[in-house]
Amino acid sequence: MEIFKIKDLSFKYPDTEEKALNHLSLTIYAGEFVVICGPSGCGKSTLLRLMKKDLSPFGDTSGDILYVGKSLNDWDEKTLVEDIGFLFQDPDNQIIMEDVLQEIVFGLENIGCSNVEMRKRVAELVHTFGYEQLLDKKVSELSGGQKQILNLLSILLLKPKVLLLDEPTSQLDPIAAKDLLLILERLNTELGITIILVEHRLEELFDLADRVMMMDKGDIACNGTSREVIHAIHQQQDQRFLLYLPAVSLLYLEKSLDTSMEGIPLNVKHCKAWMSSVSSKISSNVMVSEQKAISNERPIIELKDVFYQFNKDLPMVLRDLNIQVNTGDFHAIIGGNGSGKTTLLKVCLGILKPQRGTVRIFGKKYSKKLGLELYKKIAYIPQNPLTFFVQDSIEKEMYHIAQERNIKNPELIITKRLQQLGINHLRKKHPYDCSGGEIQKAALACMLMEEPEILFIDEPTKGLDPISKQQLAKILNQLHLDGITIIMVTHDIEFAAQHATTCAMMFNGNITVEASPEKLFKGNYFYTTTMNRVTQNSDFPEVLTLEEAKALWKKEKLFSSL
Amino acid sequence: MVISMESGFRSYHPYVQFCYYLFAGFLIMYFNHPIFLTSVLLLLILVNLSHDGGKALRKWILILVIMSAIIILLNPFLVSRGTTILFYFRGKQVTLEAAMYGITMALFIVNILILFISFNLILNGNRFLYIFSKFLPRTAFLIMISIRFVPLLKRRLDQISEVHLIRGMSMTTGSLKSRMKNGMLRMQILLTWSLEEAVQSADSMKARGYGLGNKTSYIPYKMKKRDWSWLITLCILFCLCIAGGTLGYGKLMIYPELGTLDFFLIDWVLFICMIMLVAFPLMIEGREKIRWKFSR
Repeated sequence: MEIFKIKDLSFKYPDTEEKALNHLSLTIYAGEFVVICGPSGCGKSTLLRLMKKDLSPFGDTSGDILYVGKSLNDWDEKTLVEDIGFLFQDPDNQIIMEDVLQEIVFGLENIGCSNVEMRKRVAELVHTFGYEQLLDKKVSELSGGQKQILNLLSILLLKPKVLLLDEPTSQLDPIAAKDLLLILERLNTELGITIILVEHRLEELFDLADRVMMMDKGDIACNGTSREVIHAIHQQQDQRFLLYLPAVSLLYLEKSLDTSMEGIPLNVKHCKAWMSSVSSKISSNVMVSEQKAISNERPIIELKDVFYQFNKDLPMVLRDLNIQVNTGDFHAIIGGNGSGKTTLLKVCLGILKPQRGTVRIFGKKYSKKLGLELYKKIAYIPQNPLTFFVQDSIEKEMYHIAQERNIKNPELIITKRLQQLGINHLRKKHPYDCSGGEIQKAALACMLMEEPEILFIDEPTKGLDPISKQQLAKILNQLHLDGITIIMVTHDIEFAAQHATTCAMMFNGNITVEASPEKLFKGNYFYTTTMNRVTQNSDFPEVLTLEEAKALWKKEKLFSSL
Repeated sequence: MVISMESGFRSYHPYVQFCYYLFAGFLIMYFNHPIFLTSVLLLLILVNLSHDGGKALRKWILILVIMSAIIILLNPFLVSRGTTILFYFRGKQVTLEAAMYGITMALFIVNILILFISFNLILNGNRFLYIFSKFLPRTAFLIMISIRFVPLLKRRLDQISEVHLIRGMSMTTGSLKSRMKNGMLRMQILLTWSLEEAVQSADSMKARGYGLGNKTSYIPYKMKKRDWSWLITLCILFCLCIAGGTLGYGKLMIYPELGTLDFFLIDWVLFICMIMLVAFPLMIEGREKIRWKFSR
């Protein structure tokens, strides 16, 4: 049964030249798990919002959207609210109420559900998803992942037939994201709810999805099953989407001799099966890793025996923590949610004062007098870079900084920085109108005005699409080569493994291991990259990244014997 | 001590709890007999102890003691009404009546405050709003949303402050003018940012059908048999007290001349009614404790 049929849909936002959606046609069948992806600004969110009538953006629409055979405008509002659920990106902003229970029943109250019916539905659903212990809590006590599941439950109580999800996992850590995706899979297979998901983080999604759609410039560029799409993109070497493909599939397509479409592995299990079928005669070379570091042994930040707690009654967040960052390092701090990563960063920055222990930066302790002088040499990009901007355009912001800091020739420096980061075209834009990747670069450009020596960056890859992520990596690597010490907090292990020179793993308020990425990640179960999971305990040399695998396996002429 | 939301006085319906506080508060204001008020004070302290072991009360105890001491000491020196003169202070008469009035006044205020501490522990947040939402559903909803936004705004402001600190826009150093300017900038960003985020909250409300009309509200509380029986008991006790009060019992004549502190028969009846009413939470907690002991 066709649940959605979109016919020749075009959409243009007011005051823009380009169409956000360009004569798009699409059919979605009941019970499908559809994943839509594409670069920022390709119109995927616009499409999703047009499918939920209450959220349709304002602008010129032409064409038609049919829901179960009838145009969206012909359905009555209540049915549409109940049938089509919409989950947003930010876990926090969607929550209206203070209590978990009240938030869950919010939708039911609005549609005028009776008390008995509400009780029944709440009991059933909360039990199914094992959410009982959180029911009496306040919303502010929940973690990001729990909040997003709460939002999902609140929608599910309305018994929707279709779920529209707009990057629901982009603000979550990998484990919480995985939990949410598992719930979606369950909803799809057990209840037959149609799921339409817009997402950047696709490694696991290719395995879950029945159908994948790649969008670009307001139209669908690629549409088919996961394997069809992967195959097509790889065949055409489509640079727009190549980065979206899972590493395991790419490895297969690069290295396998008979690249049949059915054989494309979508997860670690498939990939391992394929590898063991190919060859077992390869001897594993010990890899000589290239030393990326231009680090010397001059410590730039030193933390000794640091203890920190937010409140006297709360447990210690940092316990007896020692860390030393040398000048010229690209230091990544990884760890799960609540392990104290961000707290550590704030202690390093002098925003939080530890109860015990010493923090030295450039060999000095933080003090009120020194504070402002020290901060001139430090750049900090918070998780949400929007907080950074005071002025109403990026250019104005940079002039403002130049004026405050008495920088001569501001025009020259501003243009240089903007070009270096590739955002010169955005200089007149309001920061709030930029996408996540753009705003991050803009904040970076502003911070770089003062030629800092250390860059602190908190979760830089959160919510970025693969292309922006690649650009960010390039920029960070360039800055690192220019001699800036970078300290990055992240839970993106692939990113840390690819670019950092030193990685430290945080667990339970302490740094448990500190080593080069190769040493730290190899052999782990979860705290490692997909590539490593595929290659560990196999007859193939153990690698961390796809690039490594490509380079190494070529040298050994893996398949020449076949 | 573990505080359970599910047992004892807390497990009763909000209406019953609200009636208890309403009645007890009214009676504290109605009767001014020091013996009445002193007994109520003792009972209310016990009630508070039964809630959380006196944790909330402990924070207030110093303020309460100082305040009542000031009232008791100052009243006779400032007011010279009354006929029974105790002594003269700097040529002004200090009367027994004024002293007595100070004591009843202090007892009254302390009682009300302790009752309010207990109220805060029992009828917090949602339970209170639930009662409220019957009469003013829209206002209650608005309050609920606002409550959620307070910690959210606080967290955002913290984030902004951190970034500004690194940018060298401090609020703790520099001239008063620059500090004020920096503070205003923070507020301005908080406002624009929050408005931006609020659009998403509005979308989320719309997506879940807010404004379709015919809004019902989920009622997590049910009036059970024991709720009804206690409610009726409380009402009867309250009516008896009021009836007695209108006849002039339970009250002490202070001005112009102090009346007798002695109890008449009806005074005793009123006294017992009032004690029973105020001790309502204690009776519930006590009964539950005894049941536990014997059921094991």
